[in-house]
Amino acid sequence: MEHVGIEPGRLHFSWISSAEATKFVDVANTVAKEVKALGPARYFIKKRAEVA
Amino acid sequence: MTDKIFTKEEWMKGLEGLMDAYTLFVPVKDGDFHAFMPLSEGKIPDFDFQNTRLSPKSVIYPQSERLFEYTLDSADAEANILKESPKDFSPRAIVGIRPCDAHAFQIVRRNFDNPEYRDPWWVRHFESTTLVGLGCNDPCSTCFCTAVGGGPFHEEGLDALVFDLGDRCLIKGVTDKGEAFLTNMNGGKPADEAVLKEAEGLAASASKKITSSPPTDQLKGKKTNDLFTAPFWEEVAFGCLNCGTCTYLCPTCWCFDIQDEVSGKKGDRIRNWDSCMFPLFTLHGSGHNPRDAKVQRVRQRFMHKLKYYVDKYDNGAQCSGCGRCVRYCPVNIDIRNVCKRMNNF
Amino acid sequence: MLKYTEKIQETAKRLLQEKKVDVFIGYKKGSVPMMNEPLLVSDPDRVDRLYWDNFCGLNLCNYLTKQTGKIGIVANGCNSRNIVTHIIENQIQRDQLYIVGIPCEGMIDHRAVMRAVKQKEILDIEQNGKTFVVKGADFEETFEKDKFLQSNCAVCIHRNPVIYDELLGDLVEEQTGVSPYQDVEKVEAMDPEKKQGFFTRLISRCIRCYACRNACPLCYCPTCFVDESRPQWVGKSSDPTDTLTFHFLRAYHCAGRCTDCGACERVCPMGISMRQFTKKLNKDCQDLFSWEAGLTLDQRPPLDVYRPDDYNDFIK
Repeated sequence: MEHVGIEPGRLHFSWISSAEATKFVDVANTVAKEVKALGPARYFIKKRAEVA
Repeated sequence: MTDKIFTKEEWMKGLEGLMDAYTLFVPVKDGDFHAFMPLSEGKIPDFDFQNTRLSPKSVIYPQSERLFEYTLDSADAEANILKESPKDFSPRAIVGIRPCDAHAFQIVRRNFDNPEYRDPWWVRHFESTTLVGLGCNDPCSTCFCTAVGGGPFHEEGLDALVFDLGDRCLIKGVTDKGEAFLTNMNGGKPADEAVLKEAEGLAASASKKITSSPPTDQLKGKKTNDLFTAPFWEEVAFGCLNCGTCTYLCPTCWCFDIQDEVSGKKGDRIRNWDSCMFPLFTLHGSGHNPRDAKVQRVRQRFMHKLKYYVDKYDNGAQCSGCGRCVRYCPVNIDIRNVCKRMNNF
Repeated sequence: MLKYTEKIQETAKRLLQEKKVDVFIGYKKGSVPMMNEPLLVSDPDRVDRLYWDNFCGLNLCNYLTKQTGKIGIVANGCNSRNIVTHIIENQIQRDQLYIVGIPCEGMIDHRAVMRAVKQKEILDIEQNGKTFVVKGADFEETFEKDKFLQSNCAVCIHRNPVIYDELLGDLVEEQTGVSPYQDVEKVEAMDPEKKQGFFTRLISRCIRCYACRNACPLCYCPTCFVDESRPQWVGKSSDPTDTLTFHFLRAYHCAGRCTDCGACERVCPMGISMRQFTKKLNKDCQDLFSWEAGLTLDQRPPLDVYRPDDYNDFIK
């Protein structure tokens, strides 16, 4: 996804078991912080079709 | 009707002068090929081309067009109303359109503008457009306009016709719209007999240069069912990829599909070009698809263009001989060969 | 390359007469220069239409999926790898096929030739081994074939067929010292904004004709994701984001399976460099899984099977 121009930091992967509640909280907060820092996505977002 | 002669510089200047009165669509070099684009500051028209890759049908009939829109946002005064999307129908001119493409608009017009049905968008775009054609001095080897009722300097469908005489061009008004275009254009002098003779000579020699001539005379007389059940369709259709190249590049293809797209509280009703080549073209709401096999779809396209249209309108085939499908079909399915097979079956 | 025409005709005739195959798939000479038409022959007396030259850049394996009966087919290096992929993916059985292997020296890129003659109309081409002569109404020029190879052929390292029942010529030397991923590496080095611009410009001419998808032998889904409407994954209009989505997702579906045959790039009517989408994925499969599609019938592709040593650095 990085290759197509999506900024690194918008897409995260993590293994979290249902028994790892604290890890889940940490990851969720980290992801939210990193994505917020990047600002709203402009690329590859479609709100309304850009047509004639 | 007026005939004016311009030098090449006068012609360019004259066009620029018309930019206020019309949105001018001219052929512009785009990478390896040409495309009709609005003439704006910085864009240079390039009339040294044989034909554009995509036909100018998208000027009148865009590939994707928003027809209606609505909003469910109660704060908006027009909430819950499906309203027609605003469009720009101000005067336009397609300058440099080839006679085959202009003839194609007349062919398509039978579908979009007839006593039973008038497509409001197509008709309004078409009526606000002036077609200033450029005759073909050097037709391609894949052109066969003369076989389908056209010609490299044919005037049918054009409002004005430009003859490229090397360092000068002669512009002939054909309809009132074309006359208005010429009147609004600065520069130029009335043409004399010598120039008119030169232009006639050019037109005659261009027609002789057309080498492709698939026979079309027997198409009307054939029995539809005989052609439909002919054994050559499997062979014709084998290589076909069922992509949309022929239909999208063709100036006489007109099929479309209407789709609704919703985003949050807003929605759009959009019309997109569709292609009879696509597998889901004839998918019914019930789930049945009468043309789910490739050979049925390929046969349908050629029958429609060369038989059904011929029978229905008694005015020639649904083809203007531009040759785009011949040049760009990725697997080289040649409509000229299919036409010959059908005609001589 | 040109001597294959006669051999293909002979072989097809023999196979059809001996009933080793029901039909034979090959090419027929095109009606316009630099194009050829895929052909299915079932009558041994009509094999004289079969033809082979330097413009056979489509992928005939496209016509194999879910066929019944016995089929003879010509296959060069990349096409033979697609046959292997088809067999692994259960689209056709090995014993249905009689593969006529053709060691290939690359196909000519017809667009590069058009560019070289400044888009003037070409009326005839004469192919003479290492050179070819291009003839128009008022010009004639000779070019070197090696300078006009299709972009995938120029970096090909699998010119010889990997699977065949009969080989029509001597094996050719594989190219060495080619770096197939130079353009991918250039894009990888860009920053996100430049990458966005690169891909947006690349796809700006797309008219959603789906020639690329339909020419690709890997795209054999009965209903493609772009054609679905319940749910509608991708919009059907020419909206640029939808178009980008189509191309990216299609590339993903080909990940680990694409053999870089170049058919997608060849068939695109707008001349888009289609391979820019799949090459990155091919590079990743090579780097991360040491995998190149279609080389052997014995191994399952990496995206098909779990191995304990699979790359997973990206998962935190």
